[in-house]
Amino acid sequence: MKKERIYPWYFAAGAIFLYTALCVIPGIIGIGYSFTDWSAYAKEVHFAGLKNFKEIFSADTNYLKYITNTLLFTVVTTAAKSGLGLLFALALSKNIKMKNFHRGVMYMPSVLSILIIGLVFTSILNPKTGLLNETLRAAGMDSLTQQWLTNPKIAFWSVMGVDIWRGTGYIMTMLIVGILAIPQVYYEASSIDGANGWNKFLHITLPMLRQTMAVTIVLNVLYGMKVFDMVYALTNGGPGHTTEVMYTAVFKQFSQGLYAEGTTISSVMFIFMVITGFFMIKILTKDEVVEG
Amino acid sequence: MKKRIITLILSGLLAVSMLTACGGAKSGDSDGGSAEESDKSSGGAITISIMASQDWVYDAEMQLGKEFEEETGIKVDYQIVPSDQYYNLLMTKLNSGEGPDIFGGQSGSYDLVSQYNISENAVDLSNEPWVSYYNELSRVQTSVDGVNYGATYFDTTTDYYMVYNKKIFEENGLGVPATFEEFEAVCQKLLENGVTPVFEPVGDGWHHVMWFCEIGGKYEDLLPGIVDKLNNNEVTFAEVPEFKTALEQLNGLAQKGYFGDNYLSDEYADLPAIMAAGEYAMAVCKPGSIAEIVEASAGVYTEDDFGMFLIPVLDNDVLNEHPCGPSRFIYSGSSHIEEAKKYLEYITTKESLQYMIENEAKVENLPYDAGQEPAYSKATQDFLASFDKSGAVFQDTIKYLNPQWMELGQDIVSMFIGDMTPDDVLKQIDGRRATQAEAAGDEAWK
Repeated sequence: MKKERIYPWYFAAGAIFLYTALCVIPGIIGIGYSFTDWSAYAKEVHFAGLKNFKEIFSADTNYLKYITNTLLFTVVTTAAKSGLGLLFALALSKNIKMKNFHRGVMYMPSVLSILIIGLVFTSILNPKTGLLNETLRAAGMDSLTQQWLTNPKIAFWSVMGVDIWRGTGYIMTMLIVGILAIPQVYYEASSIDGANGWNKFLHITLPMLRQTMAVTIVLNVLYGMKVFDMVYALTNGGPGHTTEVMYTAVFKQFSQGLYAEGTTISSVMFIFMVITGFFMIKILTKDEVVEG
Repeated sequence: MKKRIITLILSGLLAVSMLTACGGAKSGDSDGGSAEESDKSSGGAITISIMASQDWVYDAEMQLGKEFEEETGIKVDYQIVPSDQYYNLLMTKLNSGEGPDIFGGQSGSYDLVSQYNISENAVDLSNEPWVSYYNELSRVQTSVDGVNYGATYFDTTTDYYMVYNKKIFEENGLGVPATFEEFEAVCQKLLENGVTPVFEPVGDGWHHVMWFCEIGGKYEDLLPGIVDKLNNNEVTFAEVPEFKTALEQLNGLAQKGYFGDNYLSDEYADLPAIMAAGEYAMAVCKPGSIAEIVEASAGVYTEDDFGMFLIPVLDNDVLNEHPCGPSRFIYSGSSHIEEAKKYLEYITTKESLQYMIENEAKVENLPYDAGQEPAYSKATQDFLASFDKSGAVFQDTIKYLNPQWMELGQDIVSMFIGDMTPDDVLKQIDGRRATQAEAAGDEAWK
């Protein structure tokens, strides 16, 4: 263990102070409010024990469904964005024509505001006048037209589809950086040994991308767990509660003035995300070789 | 050591300067800022801020605001907030002592106490000059313990009824249904003849709830005392079979295809254009919407081509009255209370009321008797006069129902798509009412 420090600790004092004042303390206070009856209806706040937690995990409420939806969203979008991102990264890290243009086009959706994307796709996916159904009708494929955002069997998949479209370019960009950082000497050596493209991918590219992949997967999982704006903009949790996720539920609790319940859901999600993030990093970087 | 002290001081200064920068940003934030901040930006002229939910302030009122400024020199800053975020934002401002000079809120004497803590947050307006000609029903709904806190500025003189296209009815040999069974027969005949019976815009999340809540008078007619029993927590929604029947009837209409294929994504704003196109035969809307439909039809229809009947659930024959509506309240912490009072006085004069009626198709009258001429058509007048019985809608009379309107809307959609049963919907209503009542410390729920 290295004891040598390059900079004294108090160089970080300002950042630590701000982080503590703006993140840690409000976070702890927030968790504290989960154990109260804080609401817009009463002036005083009283200790309520585990009442709010019981409410969330009670079978009579929809929260278990919202948790399932949140997890489904996280798993599907993370897997799809990572898979597609890797495919595009492999394709666009080769010497193909106009590769920078293609990279730009792929990356563009991720710089757009999610709310703007939501509004645009609400229009595109409108069953009557939307571009998607109009195109399908014009191509004589009427049977494929759908109520993309209001059919309970399809709506959540539509939301996930739009999110995958938005996020793939970002993952692709991070993976391209990772691929370009792999020393060419490995590939040259493997070619001399007679390795084919698949072997190179499996035994050089993938292992060397492990760290980058771990970062993108963790970021995607955390994003998926706290997804709000994409769902809010496209379906607002509907039809019914079909596409409701945890943070749209938090928003609705706050809108109803039930602050303690909203804070409780946030606290549960916070703890869940910390645990998930910790274990994912542990697992994904398990066999990492430490140099030096 | 010297170096350490210098670095510590520098670190401290860095932190302080960053905090100052964070704090400084607030003073420059004009969005939703207080009137005092607005004063500074407008060079000393007084500006009053009015915060309201989307669709609560019409263009004609904003025009009146400009005329008010010309006459008095007091500028009016309208802060319009999306409806699903409004209450949360308003309560945050009121609770943090940073409310606007005038805030919008739904009237209703129960909700004024439980939702808005009105006696703390609003100014007593009982002695304002316009109160003498303020509609009595509306005044009661903006009052708590005999003190009037608000001015309803919404057409509460008429409500939502079933508007139907007479031409389509005649072409299909149909008469006005008097019972729910007859209504279903009408819908079925229309559907068989290729006409979508009812335009029901579920996409907005609020409109379809009216089928259940607007027939409050009928519930009270069938079950005398039900309003008091619900408000005293002597009975729950889930325990009353009539509520279940109402939801089952509504669900049946959706399942039988009477709302069309796209009802889950249809929006209320499209109602005039869609009804004007003759695609649908009926829609639940206010009489004022008939003028909008006629205008959108570009000469195809006249107002005589449309008629009205009551929402037919539970064979409803009780005219629905809805004295509650978006109202204006003056924030007790405002530094411009007198100016805000002048604004309310201005918009409730006979001339202003007439201006609103003549310049907003949706406004046929406002709940004041200042001598203005209402814009009711003869058909509307005859329709309103044709009922022996009338009663208030449930959202006005039942505690903790109106605040959960959008959530109830979501549950009803869940019922439409088969995720919930009518019993589930009713239990959810009861659950949310209990949560709110307990949070408000309501004695009846203890």
